[in-house]
Amino acid sequence: MKKILPPEELARDSRFVRLSMEDRFSDRRSPGGGGSTSGRTGPTKLTPDAPQAPDRARALMHGIFVGEIQALEGAGRTCWDFEVGPHFDEVPFALKLDMARQCWDEARHCEISIKLSEWMGTELGEFAESTFLYEAACNPDPVLRLTGVNRALEGLAIDVFNTMREFGQSAGDPVLEFCEDWMLADEVTHVKMGSDWLRRITEKDPDRRERALEFQRVVDKLFSLGGFRGEDDDSPIRLARKFREMAGFTHEEVDEISDLSKQARAEGEARLAQANAS
Amino acid sequence: MAKVVVTPETFAFVSFDANHIVELTGKIADKVGLPADTEIRIEIDETTPLGRTKLLSLDPITLAVEGGSFEDAKRPRQLSDTSVIDVVGRLLFRAKDRLDAGFAAAPDDDALTLQQHTAWDTYAVGRCDRAGWAPQKKRRLYHFRNRHGFTDVADAAFDRLWNADGLTWADLEAACAETEAARVPAG
Amino acid sequence: MADSKKPRPAFAPWDRRELPGMFDVEETARRVGHYKWVEMRLFEALGGWVATVPELDVKLRLGTHCYKHAWHADLWNKRLPELREMNTERLTVPPNDEFVTFMDAITEPEGPDQTLEKLVGVYRVLIPHKIAAYTYHLNNTSTITDAPTMRSLRFVLNDEFEDWRDGEMLIQSLITDEADVQRAATHQARCEGLIVKAGGIAGPGSIGSTDVAVPEEVTA
Ligand SMILES: [Fe+2]
Ligand SMILES: [Fe+2]
Repeated sequence: MKKILPPEELARDSRFVRLSMEDRFSDRRSPGGGGSTSGRTGPTKLTPDAPQAPDRARALMHGIFVGEIQALEGAGRTCWDFEVGPHFDEVPFALKLDMARQCWDEARHCEISIKLSEWMGTELGEFAESTFLYEAACNPDPVLRLTGVNRALEGLAIDVFNTMREFGQSAGDPVLEFCEDWMLADEVTHVKMGSDWLRRITEKDPDRRERALEFQRVVDKLFSLGGFRGEDDDSPIRLARKFREMAGFTHEEVDEISDLSKQARAEGEARLAQANAS
Repeated sequence: MAKVVVTPETFAFVSFDANHIVELTGKIADKVGLPADTEIRIEIDETTPLGRTKLLSLDPITLAVEGGSFEDAKRPRQLSDTSVIDVVGRLLFRAKDRLDAGFAAAPDDDALTLQQHTAWDTYAVGRCDRAGWAPQKKRRLYHFRNRHGFTDVADAAFDRLWNADGLTWADLEAACAETEAARVPAG
Repeated sequence: MADSKKPRPAFAPWDRRELPGMFDVEETARRVGHYKWVEMRLFEALGGWVATVPELDVKLRLGTHCYKHAWHADLWNKRLPELREMNTERLTVPPNDEFVTFMDAITEPEGPDQTLEKLVGVYRVLIPHKIAAYTYHLNNTSTITDAPTMRSLRFVLNDEFEDWRDGEMLIQSLITDEADVQRAATHQARCEGLIVKAGGIAGPGSIGSTDVAVPEEVTA
């Protein structure tokens, strides 16, 4: 079995359809592509009384489900791709044990998500899958990989689960709230793994730490998605400060993500304004 | 068969085929039971991937849909027959209801509460099911529970609306009142 | 009321544990080091395979089992220093080159159409051999001096039995015609042949020896 499995080779059954890069980038309806947005200024908050809330929640949770599959696959590949050792492309034994533990957790998250899909009336593979999470899990530097996946993407998962737990609570959906509550607990653990390993491995290597944090910034900005995630009242996904700090983020680091999100939102709004004006 | 007009006739942002939508809509209208000379207009906003849909007027029957609602969720920008049938079937059943005296008292769509809207959709989609279009029943049930509460009373009301024929606006209002009474305010 | 000062035997009448065992500290450490090596190779392979398997139920089981073998590796890793091996890496080795060849064959299937081979190698060959070697160790070590190893062996064996059952049921559900039967049997035979050459997960003597001394026939 080779090391570093490219995203195109992720194995899926016939229900799943992958969203290709070409699909992603050639869709002119996305902001800046020339499509109208019917007067909207950006993504709107997902509240139970929003007109399409149940369908938006279903689509979001399906996205989370395929993200869980990829998180499982990514953690599994980290067990395989790196040998135990002190060198740059090697990892400590305990890091591999953490990744194996994460495999189990993500497998359970898939199971939870499948039961939740059934509850929400979503068919597995109903929506196209994009492989952005797994792509970050292909980084050949294990520290960058863990920082990008466990801190940036799993950090986003903390924000999403916390937001959806609140959504379930206010919609009175007991199953959604229950599932999110449990998954949130695991994600805090995974983000903490990322924070701990970043600090431990790069303790004497500030350059590598900076490269890892830069990779995290790039991923974080990408997934602030034009203001999709932030601290504003109307942010669709709220930055979960309390849980992020539990998971090893400093107050300043959360501030930084909050600023990134604001920046992404401003850029997104400018793009929309430009698109609507032209 | 109904006279169907789809706008635009050609698409630049998505790979839709207007003629195919015309053909599908004609067949759906027949099964819904609209008179053969009914005029139906479908206005598609192809520039957005969102999926909102609306019954704009009754004479002629005019449906306004965002492109995402006709799209294949697995294959962006591709038309999905299932999606077209899902949207057009539901809206045409609602149009047919509005043409009936039993729905004369129904407020405009814009004035409907989320609960009334969802109850009406349930009644419409249940009939789509019996027309053989196999809509996603569990998705509709989830939608209904979100609006009417996660309660046994709501589930029973859903089943009743789904399996019903020949309802009036008063029946839908009664179902809404029933679930309202059983709803526990979320804490 | 019973007199709490009255002397009692240190071993209660129902406690039949005995001192003698087959393995001294060094031999126990050697075996435990091999166990850790094989558990590591196994959890790494299961983790690596997750992404290559299209069947959703298999994918999720592999992810779950991956963790259990990592936990076993951790148990053995923690036991080694207690067996006077402070440099745990020194004993984290395969028993012999033949066993490396065997593990290479087990982890060789990669394609999305090779789920059956992946499962057969692990659940019809490797795990039964692990169960055998662990059981042999459990039944032959000193029940007094090596109680910590026995405790771990029992936890590990419990996982192995459960996972073997999961894996075997997945295999049975994937075998639907004669061609599948042949595929499974061919791969199993190949892997079994290789582990026989290695002598088991801890090398020759993994499950002891079945040789008995037969007195030479005496002639007049
Ligand atoms: Fe997860
Ligand atoms: Fe996670």
